[in-house]
Amino acid sequence: MPGILLDATEQLLNGLMYGSLYALIGGGFTILFGVMRKLNLAYGSTIMAGAYVSLIPFYLFKVPAWVMLLSSIAGAVAVGFLVELVCFRFLRKGHELAPLLTTIGMLIVIDEAIVHATGAVGLDYARPFGEESLAWGPFLVRPDYLAILVAALACFSLIFFLIHRTRLGRAMRAVAERPQAAQILGVSLRRINVLTFALTSALAGVIGFFAVVSVGAARPELAVWLTGKGLVVTVLGGLGSLRGAILGGLLLGVLEFETMWFLGTSYRDILAFLLLFAILVVRPAGLAGARAT
Amino acid sequence: MKRLWRIGSVVALGALLAWPAGAGAFQSEGTVRIGAMWALSGPGAFFGKSSHGLASLAIDEINEAGGLVVGGKRVKMQLYAEDDACNPEQGLAVVRRLATVDKVLFSLGPSCSSVAEPVFGTLQKRLDDPGDTGLQLLFFTDTATKFGLAKLSPWVFRNTPDEPAMYDFVVKYLKENYPDLKTVMVAYESDFAHSASTWKLALQPALERYKYHQVVEVVDWRWLDNEFGAQVAKLRRANADIYFSLTHTPSTCPSFRELRRQRVKPRIIIGVTSIAAGEVLRQCPDVAEGLIAPSNFAPITAKAKQVADKAWERYSADSHIHSVPAYENVHLMKVLIEKAGLKNTEESLLEDRRKVRDLLARVGTFQGVVGKIKMNPDDHPVRPRDVDKDMILVQVKSAKWTVFWLPANLKQN
Repeated sequence: MPGILLDATEQLLNGLMYGSLYALIGGGFTILFGVMRKLNLAYGSTIMAGAYVSLIPFYLFKVPAWVMLLSSIAGAVAVGFLVELVCFRFLRKGHELAPLLTTIGMLIVIDEAIVHATGAVGLDYARPFGEESLAWGPFLVRPDYLAILVAALACFSLIFFLIHRTRLGRAMRAVAERPQAAQILGVSLRRINVLTFALTSALAGVIGFFAVVSVGAARPELAVWLTGKGLVVTVLGGLGSLRGAILGGLLLGVLEFETMWFLGTSYRDILAFLLLFAILVVRPAGLAGARAT
Repeated sequence: MKRLWRIGSVVALGALLAWPAGAGAFQSEGTVRIGAMWALSGPGAFFGKSSHGLASLAIDEINEAGGLVVGGKRVKMQLYAEDDACNPEQGLAVVRRLATVDKVLFSLGPSCSSVAEPVFGTLQKRLDDPGDTGLQLLFFTDTATKFGLAKLSPWVFRNTPDEPAMYDFVVKYLKENYPDLKTVMVAYESDFAHSASTWKLALQPALERYKYHQVVEVVDWRWLDNEFGAQVAKLRRANADIYFSLTHTPSTCPSFRELRRQRVKPRIIIGVTSIAAGEVLRQCPDVAEGLIAPSNFAPITAKAKQVADKAWERYSADSHIHSVPAYENVHLMKVLIEKAGLKNTEESLLEDRRKVRDLLARVGTFQGVVGKIKMNPDDHPVRPRDVDKDMILVQVKSAKWTVFWLPANLKQN
């Protein structure tokens, strides 16, 4: 295979694997938006909160990685409930921008709490997938990226199953499409909102674990980075479209890796936002439309 | 009635905001106020906190010994430390606070060159020019290292590394001691002023000057990036003998792990000056093994060991190339303040700052923790108000910084 094709293929593989992390983040934003019609800008800090909670058993008891993953999920769910209670539950209808502002406030509060607790120093994280890349023909594949891809496949499979094959999923879709009609038919909006928060927060715990494993250290500034990527992917894919979030995440991942290889770091973010701009001009509803989750 | 309430609350709020912190004459308070702006939070916090610790240690030593003598009276040093979070906007707000609200005699810091540059830009550019309305606040910087910052204002003095000279020495040392190693690859942080300037103003000119090494690859990333696969793949392909990693800990550790993943093994790795500190040893001692960095500090004298031990014991502060200058600066300023004949009142603040500034410009050579330090005067042609001091090469061995090379005059210590 000629050199340039080899390079492009390696970066494509890396981009697809890393992009599945972006897809997960976008998926979390999208599921919540699809059901509640509100953006949770504290989602990035919920992800990081889960990762930091998982450091407690890691540093105290040197627990294995699967225990860290479970504690990350538990921590993120707890923080998610707090976000739902403080930022969404008691807001009056008609104040559409209020959740945006409350969740920005919550992002800052959680971020600062982490900074004060840790002194803003990066904390070493577990490396359960080994220290060396796997050789696959002419390519080197990071085992933690492969794990992210597998985790994303598992999570999205579970989510699609939940949404399309269970009563809860039926209720979530009903609330997403016609909240008043769903309510009339006996679906509790509050219960669905809380359960949606629980689902997306559990997903945040998974994202937190894998994101920090890939970075190698838990750092407070990752919350803002996660939020930024999540928003780009959500808008790129189409607000409320899970398929769009998956497509958007993969596309963003591939674009970033190919750009970094062929053009350099300074073009990476420029091209990502140019792509977003171009897609929004051509398809304002995003890659996969806006309505159904 | 409602209107009266509104007017009243605005007036009260205005009075509260305008009320100066700690009003009153300083001499009558029995203090000399010294300020500092450091990155006390955020990714640069490691450096800010260690500088804070070393400065606080120096202040403790001075105050425990009875303080300073100003106007025939013994007064204590009081530190007003503000957090700039390595953020330029925050730095600009903080400098005004130090100058006009905290009313400090001089300030230490900033930690980050990206903060120092705009902050120093707000200072007066020409002394004794009534038309120049810039701030008249003396800075005696311990950390912000980018070449040329002291030229921005006659109010800026720095006790920071001379990186062009250091990297000139490193390149010459490699040429003479490792003549078989000829290819070089470089990584730097394109959005971090210190890293980018170390490459462009220090290392790159040195390599061009000696014309011995061939630069086969240069890659860059952002200092808070999380992914380095593409750049390290390019380094892997270049497979150079020497790797200059001009990056700070947030990107050094993950990029070193990526080097290990991709089995990239240069013969020698040289870091940026700021890496020669405890942070990298805490975060990634395994992958940093063998890393060499130019420095101005190592605990090679009795005084240096004592300072390092006390700073850790009292403040859990790491002693390194950027934090130890804060200690040295405070002790030097104590001597100069006592000589300056200050009135130490709120009304005489500008005059007092000027007196200390002028004394600092004429200080010549002073004693540092490791060796002698020479302050360049105002009219130095290349590096006015910057220092010259001995250079040391340090290396990570068994998760500790050890001395790799010492100049002859320090070896006897």
